Amino acid sequence: MNIVGLDALVFGVDDVADCARYLIDYGLTPVDVGPEGGRFEGLDGTAILLARRDDPSLPPPLPTASTLRKTIYGVADAATLDAIAAELGRDRAVRWLADGSLETVDDLGFALGFRVTTPRPLSFTAEAANAPGVSAQRPVNALGVDTNAPPPKPRSLSHVVYFVPDVAKAEAFYADRLGFVTTDRFTKVGPFMRPAGCRDHHTLFMIQTPPFLQGCEHFTFHMGGPTEVLAAGRRMVELGYQSFWGPGRHIFGSNWFWYFNSPFGCHVEYDADMDHHDAEWVAREAEAGADSSQVFLFQARELWFPSGPPPAKTA
Amino acid sequence: MDDVPLCRMDELPPNGARGFDPLGEGRDALFIVRRGDTLRAYRNRCPHWPGAPMAWRKDGYLSPDGGHIVCYAHGARFDIDTGDCVQGPCPGQSLQSLPLIRRADGLLLVPRDALDLRTAS
Repeated sequence: MNIVGLDALVFGVDDVADCARYLIDYGLTPVDVGPEGGRFEGLDGTAILLARRDDPSLPPPLPTASTLRKTIYGVADAATLDAIAAELGRDRAVRWLADGSLETVDDLGFALGFRVTTPRPLSFTAEAANAPGVSAQRPVNALGVDTNAPPPKPRSLSHVVYFVPDVAKAEAFYADRLGFVTTDRFTKVGPFMRPAGCRDHHTLFMIQTPPFLQGCEHFTFHMGGPTEVLAAGRRMVELGYQSFWGPGRHIFGSNWFWYFNSPFGCHVEYDADMDHHDAEWVAREAEAGADSSQVFLFQARELWFPSGPPPAKTA
Repeated sequence: MDDVPLCRMDELPPNGARGFDPLGEGRDALFIVRRGDTLRAYRNRCPHWPGAPMAWRKDGYLSPDGGHIVCYAHGARFDIDTGDCVQGPCPGQSLQSLPLIRRADGLLLVPRDALDLRTAS
């Protein structure tokens, strides 16, 4: 199955205006957005789709507080779409929507969509670091910090994390029916998985939880590098949003991370510099915990200038 | 023990929530929900996950309709009056309420010994 990655996540919420403001502040670009919701794109066109909770065009909600209504994957071509329709149509309803996409459900009840993907090709550079021992990555006189640059924008929808009531059943569905590969695993918690057409360490991570928690734990867009993760996160803090975890760097996947609370009732993350893997990779396994989930963790604080003359005394 | 001042009654939204960081810890330690003349104060800590901050933005502790306290980390909903979880990941658990002192001049304070229990829970 040549599934190439996440194309969009669909949320149904009570507070469209708050969620829209949040996604714009996060850095996504609104496209055809109005009071009923709309599309919020990363630079490559992968997106968060926002709608009212009672929008009749959405698949039914999970029987929990989750606001995630559908996970849409991009596939390489029409033949892959047909193959998915044939495979999943063996034991569940698969609908062809008017836009040419497929809609169905996974074995846990998460609504799924599939469409032939048309991500815009990105032609940016990654964050370039000069370092002794290697040829310079930035041209001479090119600056690493540009205080006049606009806020960094999320580039591409990276991954979604599910709370699931039966992680073994869920992993089997994505592996056996859709050809996902498990890249690493937290023991008794769940697998990091990538679809066959994507080298990212994970586009899907699943966490075993009680049934009443089923839903979305977080979603993430890729940034251009660690500086962009930190700069974008610091901007969110300045805008009054609540940091939840980070900034730091994960071990499985090696991605830099910074998570924020959100009006979606799940976390929203920035990530950067995730590992790529292919069929040669052998999945690791570790007990989940603070030591295994990050190599370091920091916490934002206000800017500070501990140098120069002593501060003027106030009378 | 000193009591720690938070704000004056008329500095709270008439129907809404506000967070406070009275010990300068860098994030809100508690929040007050005011509905008219009724006040409730709770620690900014979801019982679902130790240490989890609850708001989604500064003072964003309530559901869009103002009817519940919501932890925007994992979506738990709480009764405003009792602090009991009514939906989400921590059924049967409750927010930790804090006593409030309301002075005649309108100043609201929280007992320092109540705040200092923060490491014990």
